[in-house]
Amino acid sequence: MTTRRLFLGGAALAGAATVARSALAALPEPASRTDTNTAAPLAPAQGRPYRPVVTLNGWSLPFRLRNGWKEFHLVAEPVVRELAPGMNAQLWGYNGSSPGPTIEVVEGDKVRIFVTNRLPEHHAVHWHGQRLPNGMDGVGGLTQPHIPPGKTFVYEFEARRPGTFMYHPHADEMVQMAMGMMGFWVTHPREPRRVPGYVECDRDFVFLLNAFDIEPGSATPKVNTMLDFNLWCFNSRVFPGIDPLVVRRGDRVRIRIGNLTMTNHPIHLHGHEFVVAGTDGGWTNPASRWPEVTVDVAVGQMRAVEFVADEPGDWALHCHKSHHTMNAMGHDVPTMIGVDHREVVQRIQKLVPDYMVMGERGMADMGEMEMPLPDNTLPMMSGQGPFGPVEMGGMFTVLKVREGLARNDYRDPGPYAHPAGTVAREWTDAAPEPQRAPGAASAAPAPLRARKPSGHNAHH
Amino acid sequence: MRTRTKALVLVPLVAVLAGCATPGPQDALVEARRLAPQGGELTLATDEAARRERESAVARALAEPLDAQGAWRVALLNSPALQALIAQSWAAQATVVQSGRLPNPRLALERLTRGDETEIGRVLSFGLLELLALPWRAGQAERAAEAARLQLAADVLRVGAQVRQQWVRAVAAQQLAQYHEQVRDAAQASAELARRMQAVGNYSRLQRDREQAFYADATAQLARARQAAVAEREALVRLLGLSPQQASSLRLPDRLPDLPGEPRPAQQVADAAKRERVDLRLAQRRLAAADAQRTLARWTSLTDIELGVVRNSETHQPTQRGFELELTLPLFDAGQARRAGASAEAIAALNQVHQVQIEATSTLRERYAAYRTAYDLARHFRDEVVPLRQRIVDEMLLRYNGMLGSVFELLAESRTHIGSVIGAIEAQRDFWLADAALDAAILGVPAEGASLLTQAPAAGGASPAGH
Repeated sequence: MTTRRLFLGGAALAGAATVARSALAALPEPASRTDTNTAAPLAPAQGRPYRPVVTLNGWSLPFRLRNGWKEFHLVAEPVVRELAPGMNAQLWGYNGSSPGPTIEVVEGDKVRIFVTNRLPEHHAVHWHGQRLPNGMDGVGGLTQPHIPPGKTFVYEFEARRPGTFMYHPHADEMVQMAMGMMGFWVTHPREPRRVPGYVECDRDFVFLLNAFDIEPGSATPKVNTMLDFNLWCFNSRVFPGIDPLVVRRGDRVRIRIGNLTMTNHPIHLHGHEFVVAGTDGGWTNPASRWPEVTVDVAVGQMRAVEFVADEPGDWALHCHKSHHTMNAMGHDVPTMIGVDHREVVQRIQKLVPDYMVMGERGMADMGEMEMPLPDNTLPMMSGQGPFGPVEMGGMFTVLKVREGLARNDYRDPGPYAHPAGTVAREWTDAAPEPQRAPGAASAAPAPLRARKPSGHNAHH
Repeated sequence: MRTRTKALVLVPLVAVLAGCATPGPQDALVEARRLAPQGGELTLATDEAARRERESAVARALAEPLDAQGAWRVALLNSPALQALIAQSWAAQATVVQSGRLPNPRLALERLTRGDETEIGRVLSFGLLELLALPWRAGQAERAAEAARLQLAADVLRVGAQVRQQWVRAVAAQQLAQYHEQVRDAAQASAELARRMQAVGNYSRLQRDREQAFYADATAQLARARQAAVAEREALVRLLGLSPQQASSLRLPDRLPDLPGEPRPAQQVADAAKRERVDLRLAQRRLAAADAQRTLARWTSLTDIELGVVRNSETHQPTQRGFELELTLPLFDAGQARRAGASAEAIAALNQVHQVQIEATSTLRERYAAYRTAYDLARHFRDEVVPLRQRIVDEMLLRYNGMLGSVFELLAESRTHIGSVIGAIEAQRDFWLADAALDAAILGVPAEGASLLTQAPAAGGASPAGH
């Protein structure tokens, strides 16, 4: 990754801390990965066995076992992350990626995490949701001194509670999270059958919801944006850059979702019902669960949903806030629908020769046309499906349910082959007479009549 | 017989004393021709044939779009104001030549009779002192004539600078009107689109009216720009002295000449100024004339001597011959006042030379600074401002393509871009005005400098933000 090396070189010049190799001699070699593909699940080479999770467009951090401690090494550093083909973001992350690698441990493990700070400013990592000694909670200034640039700190605690967690900075938190620093944490149960509400799943996907505000044409997030983000991500990726969730028909599937954006996300799955089997507080009582097709993941929350994938096909999985399935867009662009552009087009083209009319009929043009855009900018909506433009962006991906996949096969099987006669199609016969309410003569919409309130003698 | 001999001697003497020949119109133009920018044909049309030839030459010049050089040629050929200047200078030169000549000798005849006796008296007299001072007087007249020729040259060059500057203003104003038209078109497109947006319910009255307001402003600016183009063109027509018919066939180039690749170096300008200054030469001539006048005044102010040759014939008497000398006695006026006056004139002339020297160097420094500033500004607009605004429009178009920005923002940036082109044309105009002013300063001729201190108006009008 030439770009990353260049970027790191620049960052070092700009004052980012560098850590001498000898100083790291006693530490586990930090693993690093800049690839944005979903890595195969990482089965534990040592320690207690567990069924590893699949991090969407991400990876799990390898560990070493030493004197009864599981040792991980996180390196906080600037990274370049491809959000989708055509756009690289200059972010901060861990071990070459944003979000950082997933940490997987087993309930009862003694965990030692080295955190090396290669950021230009101080840092501290909070282990969100964990039971641990207060001094290991990672709140800079409150429970520990900050990790200065260039220094390595060590966190040691026992993973007491099985469940779904995350880690994120608690030092200059808003900025460091706006820059993309965060990661997933899974504590597998030591004895799965003894954990109330927990069942083993065939496929266990994890990802974080995160958001950036990157000015079109630039690459670095605006860290002072409060709510008006323009790139809504699953694990720092946007559609069409997010991998599909590939499952075998009949698999019991778990999807764990953590939200580190500044707003809630109603995550909606097509074609199946699921239950919320867990939160970052633990596994829910099976008697308390009810079926849903959408789960609202509030800010700072985690939700683990479970279902049996019994309907084959390509099922959309997305945030139901429709603007969260868009990439950067101009919020102040006026609605052009229905505006006749005749003659005006020629006049504008005399001044701006490459001008083209858009939005006269709606914005679907945008999904179809390939227009030159500012550098490093993704179209507001794009993506091609087997039947045409998908017209999506942001928090959107597909659950692909297929017959007869191998147990560990997560490769994209391509578009779903629909059985004959099961795809919506154009009706070419005579249309049946529509049923009308009695007295309704015409289906034509009434003309728009707006009246100003006209003072005292208004009776409406 | 003796008388006859004397009369024969007198004829060439009279011819010598009559001195320099009367100047013709072409003599009056020598200096102006030498200094005037090359390519000009400066003549005084004195008869109908010359006038007709002049008119056809102007018609030929007006057949093509008129460049700056052409404008100067037409002005030289055609301008009645310039012709009047030449004729006046001719008249002035004739007057001073007149002053360098001897007053004509006087011949007094008398015939007296007493009975049958007749007495005829003849006296031919002339001013002896004036005759003795003739070489000084002739020199003085020649100096005055030279000053008059220099003055004409200065006047012609001043008109030349005016013509060149007015041509620049006229071309620029015409060019600016075209770009104001484009601003208007951009604003009109916005207004029309906003009107349609409101018609289908997508825009509020407020939003539409804001776009309409830009259009209204742009229309007013266009009217002003068009009027400016007319006014500047008509000012040029007056300077060139074009008849209504000639004026209607006057076409100007579409654009001002490009900036030169490099500005003139300061040293070159200073050297040229040392060689050529008309104002300094004029002041020096006047000083020389005043000095000579002071010398002459020492002689002529004291007295006046009149010498007469007398020949009286009387009936029955031999002819009486003799001389007559008439002297003014400086009893009441010893000429001190005239000598003092001449001295004062000489002192004034000396100080005027000094003042002209000071003004010449200072004006040249100022004009050269203005020239360099105008050059740098024009280049800055051409190489920085306009390309930058173009890039902004290009980027805005990309944002529009991505639905990241609206067509109204795009049009607003386009207006601002055209505004920067307008700024560039104004800067280019100011450069050529400063260039002409610098040339005038080198020659020592008064001309208006370009006003570089006022900022070009933001012709784009609208800030692109805020939709």
